[in-house]
Amino acid sequence: MRSGDEPAALSGTRRQGMPKRVSARDRVPSFAFLMPTVLLILALSLFPLLFSLGLSFTSWDLSRFEGGVRFVGLRNFATLVSDGRFWNTARVTLIFVVGSVGLQYALGLGLALLLNEEIRFRRFFRVVFLIPMMLTPAAVGYVGRMLFNESMGPINDIIRHVGGPAIPWLSNPRVALLSLILLDTWEWVPFMTIVLLAGLQSLPPEVFESARVDGANDWNIFRRITFPMLAPVSVTVILIRALEAFKLFDIVMVMTGGGPGTATETVTMYAYIVGMKNGNLGYASAIAYSLLIMVVIFSSVFLNSLRSRVAAAEG
Amino acid sequence: MQLTRRQSRAIRRITTHALLVLWSLVCLFPIYWVLITSFKFPIAVFQGPKYFPWLDFQPTLDAWKFLLTGSPSGAVLRSWLNSALLATSSAALAVLIGGLAGYALTRFRYYWPVLRWKNNDIAFYIISQRMLPAVVVILPYMIMFRVLGLIDTHAGMILAYTVFSLPFAVWILRDFFAGLPVDVEESALIDGASRLQAFRAIVLPLAAPGLIAAFLFCLVFTWNDYLFALMLTFSRASTLPMFIAGEGSQSYGPQWWYLSALSLLSIAPMILITLLVERYITRGLVVGAIK
Repeated sequence: MRSGDEPAALSGTRRQGMPKRVSARDRVPSFAFLMPTVLLILALSLFPLLFSLGLSFTSWDLSRFEGGVRFVGLRNFATLVSDGRFWNTARVTLIFVVGSVGLQYALGLGLALLLNEEIRFRRFFRVVFLIPMMLTPAAVGYVGRMLFNESMGPINDIIRHVGGPAIPWLSNPRVALLSLILLDTWEWVPFMTIVLLAGLQSLPPEVFESARVDGANDWNIFRRITFPMLAPVSVTVILIRALEAFKLFDIVMVMTGGGPGTATETVTMYAYIVGMKNGNLGYASAIAYSLLIMVVIFSSVFLNSLRSRVAAAEG
Repeated sequence: MQLTRRQSRAIRRITTHALLVLWSLVCLFPIYWVLITSFKFPIAVFQGPKYFPWLDFQPTLDAWKFLLTGSPSGAVLRSWLNSALLATSSAALAVLIGGLAGYALTRFRYYWPVLRWKNNDIAFYIISQRMLPAVVVILPYMIMFRVLGLIDTHAGMILAYTVFSLPFAVWILRDFFAGLPVDVEESALIDGASRLQAFRAIVLPLAAPGLIAAFLFCLVFTWNDYLFALMLTFSRASTLPMFIAGEGSQSYGPQWWYLSALSLLSIAPMILITLLVERYITRGLVVGAIK
């Protein structure tokens, strides 16, 4: 055990009172306080993760629950590669992630900038803006189904009143995915707004004052100062939302049920259908694991491209 | 036309407020729509969109009467109570267990030689559990719960939801404890209090805002969950989101008035929480994301 580099490892968080090492009287508490969490996570998070990996190499029929397990090696993954329905769910999920997170970030940043101005009723706006993300997604999916209904819903009605065409929100495969993106955006812009606003408020005011004294206009201040300084927070919120968006399940189930056809079917939904409806646990696990792989690849590509862009900008 | 400085400031203020009002309408309109739809007669739904009660449709309590006293009332009440019970008890457990871990991670120095993990690595591993797609662990849960006889039981769901909420609780509370001064508890320790006594008598009261933020966070996420309930319950322990989704997909066509009232039963408590404790929720969110 090397103790010399410990402060560096702990930098970034406030640890002013932390003792150098655990004293004798704290040996029991230091173990007992952390153990329940560690044990629960090992038993109910790490173990299922490994179990799931194991399952993905088997063929196991839910209807023959006892003794129905058979090791099949990589066969599930081989099937997956040529499964058109799976690739479609992967495509839908990816379009959804990029579209909804992109839109949420743009709107969230805009709203955070507005809330950061000198405004009245800030508290009112903050509360109202927070509400959508607190609502039950299953109910929100259902609300979306009503709002986007092509003949009885208010959205097409309002569009008609301003002279626009009737939009096939739920019956056209492409538009249905857009509707989902819009609904998810409605629900999750609040997260972006609130965290980005906190990020804006934590920026040092002196920088802006001196830029203003130097005669910089709003756009330049945003482009050269605010946006770059906000980058760490931006990366965090985009990543958190993207990781959540990959899991998309509840609002699709209720709003479109994956339809029309399989046009809005996500990976999680497909895993659910294969695992629970068709009872094919092994193949469902392979699908689920491929989602995990997608998530890991996406996060590392995202973070790496940002890192190289930052390096290019600095170099 | 050259605007004076004052004029351009005024224009900017007006645009800012106009945009904020516009987005408020976007946020509130869907909720308004569910609310009025729950007071509509079927005919007011099928005739095309009606926006204003009394002005273009006659409101009725029919949907609410059907929901609360009609044939679905038993199932509605049961799933509402199940949701409330599972959400509050798992959130309380997560805060209790996660609070201990969050405290430990800010007060004790850990080093796990096999993995070369220190406090921050442990904390990051814990939060990373929440980043995984839940569907990866949900099938094993289903199998484990079947084998252990926990499927469709309250105990099983509380367990699943506690584990599901635990990473949030640890993450939020760790930050709160890190911000608390250690002097008071240290003097208590010197005066002979045990760690647990100091934790209970001194640290917990000081951390009350953090405990509330973490509790509400876990509560909201559990209350809103659909995937776990769908995979692990079917009747006795099934929750409100499951009931909503089930009713919404009935083949007899969407009964919008009834489904709106049902959705409000799930949405209203969350709106109430937001109105009452927006500050805590915001604080929890920000801790989760800005580090």
